[in-house]
Amino acid sequence: MTKVIKKIRENLFLVFIILCYAVILIIKPQTGFDAVKNSGYYIKEMLMIMPVIFVLTALLDIWVPKQTIMKYLGQESKFKGIFLSFALGAISAGPVYAAFPICIMLHKKGASIRNIVIILSSWAVIKIPMLINELKFLGPKFMLVRWVLTVFAILIFSWIASKIVKDEDLPKKIKEVKTGLSINKDACMGCTLCTQEYKELFEMSNKKAIIKEHSFEPDKERLKKAIDRCPVNAIEFGEE
Amino acid sequence: MDIFTIAVWIITAGFLIFSFVKDKSKTKEALKSALGMGKGMLISILSIIFAIGLLLTIFTPESIAAFVEKQNVLVATISAAILGTVTLVPAFIAFPLVGTLISGGVGIIPSVAFLTTLTMVGVVTFPLEIKAFGKKFTFVRNGLSFIFAIVIALVMGVII
Repeated sequence: MTKVIKKIRENLFLVFIILCYAVILIIKPQTGFDAVKNSGYYIKEMLMIMPVIFVLTALLDIWVPKQTIMKYLGQESKFKGIFLSFALGAISAGPVYAAFPICIMLHKKGASIRNIVIILSSWAVIKIPMLINELKFLGPKFMLVRWVLTVFAILIFSWIASKIVKDEDLPKKIKEVKTGLSINKDACMGCTLCTQEYKELFEMSNKKAIIKEHSFEPDKERLKKAIDRCPVNAIEFGEE
Repeated sequence: MDIFTIAVWIITAGFLIFSFVKDKSKTKEALKSALGMGKGMLISILSIIFAIGLLLTIFTPESIAAFVEKQNVLVATISAAILGTVTLVPAFIAFPLVGTLISGGVGIIPSVAFLTTLTMVGVVTFPLEIKAFGKKFTFVRNGLSFIFAIVIALVMGVII
């Protein structure tokens, strides 16, 4: 029973939608059927393009050396830094909040405010796999024009932002070196990769990964693999 | 399937084979993580799709278009941008949705404003962003993104 309640709580929105459909199907069956048919169109379109987008995103993730980009980004602030910031945002997987911890880390390493704004914005709007999607539904002209305009807009407003916001305005957290294993809950996007990699150590709770109660010493190899696979670098392990 | 979708599938398959030849285990990892990402998002995506299906049945694209047409362009665009700010729709549902709206007759300018703020400005992620970057950064970034989303939309209206 508690399990059912937990499931409902985790998927409140879905339950709400199902209830809406139930009500409409009783009151106005025709409208209900039309709504199902309309949704069917989107599901069909999604199934045709989503697998490709996920596969492309994952391939980009493994073949484009993100670590190298991040390494240079901290030091370069001129043209090359701007270009790398756009590139990092455009190839990365995951929702924009997944970029927050990465940007904080880059800022500590010396990346400018301007470049951080660029990463966040391009992460949000000009992802390469998403461009394919835009091309399909809105046509090449629409996609191209919007893409060019967006890049220009980001260039301009990131410059403005860097004039208003200074490095000191960002919260300075003197991070105590944590020992042991922890998961940054804000970053986790619930992809379940760590639980697949090391199911004795990680489990899902409320769509986020958590660390299981354990009495064994985690296997270094497997833990490292899980940490590396996390697309948003949410798993931290500070050695004593 | 239209030609475009088929082409994308073929190109992706090509990359996949190339990747497989170059590094078998790395490619397997990639596929596994693609599957993981998909599974993790499936339920929320399906809920949003059914919500959109229902909304578009009650408010047909044509009726939305007729309503938008009666408004002042700037008012419609700013409203669309606000709507995009407060809602959370994954980008790959947003594109077919905007496609439906535009072919239903909704103007390009409000549609683009909606599309851009949807992804670039987020009220839902506001608390997280403040926690990470502080209030000033968050307000400036989101504020500028909002303004420029409208600028992008207006310029697109002129070009297309």
